[in-house]
Amino acid sequence: MVGGVFIWAGLLKIFDPLGFAQGIANYKAFPLGMSFFPALLLPWIEVICGFFLIFGIFLKASAILLSGFLTVFLVLIVVTILRGLDIDCGCFGSLSGKADYKLLLVDSVLLFFSLMIVFSEEKAMILKLR
Amino acid sequence: MHQEKLFQQIVFILILSSILGLGANFPLVEKYFQGEFQHGFLSLEEYPSITFITLLEAQELFLKGEALFIDSRNEEAFKTGHILKAKNIPFVKYKEKGFMKLLSHPLEETLVVYCDGSECQTSEELAKLLHKKGFEDIRIFFGGWTEWMKKRLPVSKESDTQ
Repeated sequence: MVGGVFIWAGLLKIFDPLGFAQGIANYKAFPLGMSFFPALLLPWIEVICGFFLIFGIFLKASAILLSGFLTVFLVLIVVTILRGLDIDCGCFGSLSGKADYKLLLVDSVLLFFSLMIVFSEEKAMILKLR
Repeated sequence: MHQEKLFQQIVFILILSSILGLGANFPLVEKYFQGEFQHGFLSLEEYPSITFITLLEAQELFLKGEALFIDSRNEEAFKTGHILKAKNIPFVKYKEKGFMKLLSHPLEETLVVYCDGSECQTSEELAKLLHKKGFEDIRIFFGGWTEWMKKRLPVSKESDTQ
């Protein structure tokens, strides 16, 4: 499930890198220029990790990376809510919803499953996935 | 699993993603190093008529009377205060209605689109739509209403909603 969500989210952003860069910039957490390169690389990391999770390749490494991203996303969403910014999350390209409590819940669930993979035995996870 | 092996795998994923991400977007990377995308992430190729301007540039255009200011916020926000003589085109409302008969101004007129500060996205979205309608000189004033007010520049509270 986590892999599928990230492949979908990543693909939507791969096709609109500038839109995603603007999405990152809208959080006003980093200088504008710093949004550019993460916007080019992040979607590819999401897609590759997503595929690796589904096919059981580099399971823990992929899950660690995705857990790290999800943690950063969660912090960003909390800060955004606290600052009262009314912005799209930018997480699903043009299909993005607001960076709000609903998204906080979705990302928390994804982080939970992702951490389950990180702390599980790799062989058992591959068998389960298959 | 050995931590070293795990670290190598993470590095491998990051390198692979970097190669694919930078390779697939090489033309954008070139543009970035040529100085594009410093104020926003609209492609000049795709939107050649849109530029980003600062408060000073917006102020100069206003004082010379060389541009039509367009406020893309909702009607309520506009009524509580807006840049003097600005026209209100609430992006969200018109997005639903369609943008037919949006502006009867000549296409070569300079338009300055703004909303409420840099957190607001509607000015950019409206600018894109105006570009599609054929307007040739659209400036996005990203600082918007917040910066204009801070500088105590001329404002109005009267309604000028379409």
